[in-house]
Amino acid sequence: MLLERNKKEFINKWEKRVLPFLLLLPAFILILSVVAYPIGRAIWLSFHDFNPLKPFESKYVGFENFFKILKDKVFFIALKNSLIWIIGVVSFQFIGGLIGALILRQKFKGRSLIRGISLIPWVTPGILISIMWMWMLDGNYGIINDILLRLGLISRYIPWLAQKNTSLFSVMIADIWRGIPFFAIMLLAAMEAIPEQLYEAARIDGANSFRIFIHITWPLILPTVIITTMLRIIWTANHMDLILIMTDGGPGYSSLIIPLMAYHTAYKQLNFGYASALALLQGVFLIIIVSLYLRLLRKKGGMY
Amino acid sequence: MFKKSNFLMYLFLFLTLIILLTPIHGQRKTVIKYWLWLDDPTDPMFPDLVKQFNSLNPDIQVEYELIPLSQYYDKLVTAIGAGTAPDAARFKDWWIGAFVDAGALEPLDNYLKNWKGYSDVISNLWNTGKISAKSPIYMMPHQFITFYLYYRKDWFKEKNLPPPTDLNKFLDAAKKLTDPTKNRYGFGLRGGSGGQDQWLAFMVAQGARLVDRNGKVIADSPEAILANQWYIDLYRVHKVAPPSAPTDAYAQVLGAFQSGITAMMAHHVGSSVLVTQKLGEENVGVVPMPPADPKKPATMITMSGNVIFSSSKNKEAAFKFISWLTEKEQMDKWSRSRQGQLPVLKSVANLPYYKNNIFFKVSLDQAKYAIAWPPLPGVGYISAQLWQNLMQRALLGEITSKEMMEEIANALRKK
Amino acid sequence: MKNFIFKYFLIFIWLAFILIPYIWMFITSIKSPNELYVFPIKYLPSKPTFEGYILLLKSTPFLAYMKNSIIVALSTVIIALFVAILASYSFSRFDYKGKTPLSFIFLITQMFPAILLAIPLFLLMKSLKILNTPYSLILAHSTFAVPFSTWMITGFLNSIPKELDEAAQIDGCTKIGALRHVILPIASPGIVAAAIYIFIYSWNEFLYALTFTSDIKARTIPVGLHTFMGEYIIRWDLLTAGGIITGLPVIIFFMFIQKYLVKGLTEGAVTG
Repeated sequence: MLLERNKKEFINKWEKRVLPFLLLLPAFILILSVVAYPIGRAIWLSFHDFNPLKPFESKYVGFENFFKILKDKVFFIALKNSLIWIIGVVSFQFIGGLIGALILRQKFKGRSLIRGISLIPWVTPGILISIMWMWMLDGNYGIINDILLRLGLISRYIPWLAQKNTSLFSVMIADIWRGIPFFAIMLLAAMEAIPEQLYEAARIDGANSFRIFIHITWPLILPTVIITTMLRIIWTANHMDLILIMTDGGPGYSSLIIPLMAYHTAYKQLNFGYASALALLQGVFLIIIVSLYLRLLRKKGGMY
Repeated sequence: MFKKSNFLMYLFLFLTLIILLTPIHGQRKTVIKYWLWLDDPTDPMFPDLVKQFNSLNPDIQVEYELIPLSQYYDKLVTAIGAGTAPDAARFKDWWIGAFVDAGALEPLDNYLKNWKGYSDVISNLWNTGKISAKSPIYMMPHQFITFYLYYRKDWFKEKNLPPPTDLNKFLDAAKKLTDPTKNRYGFGLRGGSGGQDQWLAFMVAQGARLVDRNGKVIADSPEAILANQWYIDLYRVHKVAPPSAPTDAYAQVLGAFQSGITAMMAHHVGSSVLVTQKLGEENVGVVPMPPADPKKPATMITMSGNVIFSSSKNKEAAFKFISWLTEKEQMDKWSRSRQGQLPVLKSVANLPYYKNNIFFKVSLDQAKYAIAWPPLPGVGYISAQLWQNLMQRALLGEITSKEMMEEIANALRKK
Repeated sequence: MKNFIFKYFLIFIWLAFILIPYIWMFITSIKSPNELYVFPIKYLPSKPTFEGYILLLKSTPFLAYMKNSIIVALSTVIIALFVAILASYSFSRFDYKGKTPLSFIFLITQMFPAILLAIPLFLLMKSLKILNTPYSLILAHSTFAVPFSTWMITGFLNSIPKELDEAAQIDGCTKIGALRHVILPIASPGIVAAAIYIFIYSWNEFLYALTFTSDIKARTIPVGLHTFMGEYIIRWDLLTAGGIITGLPVIIFFMFIQKYLVKGLTEGAVTG
């Protein structure tokens, strides 16, 4: 009898103290071995002057790369563009995704087919999305120009990707289109997890769709909204595949964002040190912003 | 949902996949790793050449890797830095300066001494593989292009214009053939990716140079600044280029010419088939690059060749392969294919196929006075990104011609 | 009745929004090359041709690329999901010191652009001798997919009342048992969503695929598609045909899986 009780206590203790960490172990093995080394190396690089073709000639330069950033006009242009890019893209992706989720959870014939189709933009490789939208936005053969002209909204074809003031905005449209399905699916999953009883009860009480959304749906999907938005902000800040192909930051610097600037600096200018400093700086910004975001919403999300 | 049996089944499938993926080793031959980019990946020409070489040389096995051109430079840079460079690779003269500076390329003179085909190569083309008059040869020339000018014979005839054989006639025709209301423009200026070659052609045609005979950088000289200004003015002042010019790349410029939006296009033999197919041979005329002074013709040349990396452990075998590619039969096959450009061999250039084709003829005739990008380390950066950025800003009026040329000169002077 | 029309109208608009670029791409893919650059624009091809598709499948290694992409993506899903579920359970159902910083470390891995990490990772893969094999991609993709998936699944788990665990444990389950038999079935919408996310991330991933593999036999679709853009020729026919074919397996996969998003599974647990 005593043995039984000790065994139970042991299991209990084990479950409380050891199990949680054991569960985390696989993840940490992956992360520490695969990610820690590159980040460490990137930090090392940011304090050096490093040409990848001449790796043995690298020299230590301390904080020089970071000071250079603060004096770099191009950096501040890229920073401004990055902010416009992140805020614009994520907001509209969210709005579009919310609308999509609300539509897709209705019952109708062919729903699973349509849900499948809704995935298309998300599933298409970046290269394809880039050339599709480049083709549609083309200043001479693009259907967007043709349709806008026929609708009378413009008087002549506009070279969307060739003008300073429309280049970033045009790429944003492509990325918004691409990201909406992601939000739609995530929000749809969150909505589907809400027990039907809550809706029935509310309908019995006579609430209309709008009030049901505000008081039942929205609060219950809020944790998912917060996480998904935050993850998307991080992802968007770091992803430049569409911009790289559609405009390569141009014309001039009008669509240059920070990761793209780092890419140019590393591979075209062969200056890995400065590029690492740029990328690290953005990483640090993101860490700070996300920490604030989390702290501010800890109560609402009830996560950690 | 997580039934144990399902899980085991998936695990088993997964392990099977892993086993299937494990490659089988065991080769006694010398393996040569070769990298290249191809314009048309469905063209069986190159895979067939490799098969042919491998069967002719049973002790060598060439394994090639096809890499998209837009990432080619980046991948090579990464590979050199990490020590995973291939044995040999297709290469562009833009990159020679940077790679020689890093000691990454093997000098080829010793191998060339014993190569039978040496004298068959058009002699001044060897310079494209050197970094100075007296330097060793680092790249074996293979296919090149020189820039010429296409023009719409039918439009010129309509307006009674003489062919644009010099820059005055060029500008005059461009102005007269521009009519924005009909979406017609005189010249397809290329401000986007890859436009630096065409730009250099116009610069040298006006007598400007980036470096002088001794290799000193003169890109910021008054002549160069003026020549650049002339080019910028085509867009900003005379408005003979389409509004999309600052970001137009090859596809857009070609498309514009093919669909009747532009009257003239500067390019090379690589597009001759596409252009005549679409517009009809009778409507397309070609002239050598129009010079400012007819007595001083000049145009731009760029070479794609083959290099051997200094890190290779199989240099002899690698040289066997790249020299074989440069032999008459293979050269002819390549030049006639969809990837084809100008052959570097005299014996091939003299074949009727090339002599009777006006596009090849004009191109090859220009070879004797064509000028390439200087073989300086900075050219890698200029061609990969800097030129495009500067040109776009200049075309949009954000910077002056002087500022642009000074930045180019700085990049060229950088060690 | 009005509701009905409105509903189908919305569905139509949604479909149009999703599909129009794709439809235009499809039309472009069946046009013959000299009908592309035409002004004014031609909307419909005069002689549709499927040559692009045939050429793609016969003369390029596209099917090999697809095989590689599928293998890498499926393997990544299995590994990443397994790791993420365990980690999420830890974050959601246990309280311990250091939970917040640990979960934060997960996030930190996402804060840096891939290009920063690409070169050091390349060197790592080289020393592990898995360059040019699918393993390098599976390793990299799994590692980068785990943090997002963990946070996603944790969120879903958090919305499942802890009473369910307790009920299971009273019935004699261990914590792990509770996870397997009670929690996971209920959290399946979230897990399925995470699986989809992981698959698509791996399927579309370009930079690491480009950096770690150069061999055609290890190449995945995104890198393969890039080879259709040469210095002088953009193969619209191959690119657009490839685009259409690339999306199909994933969409079919999703159409089967998406029924797990149905909340029917939830009902049983709460009431029963």
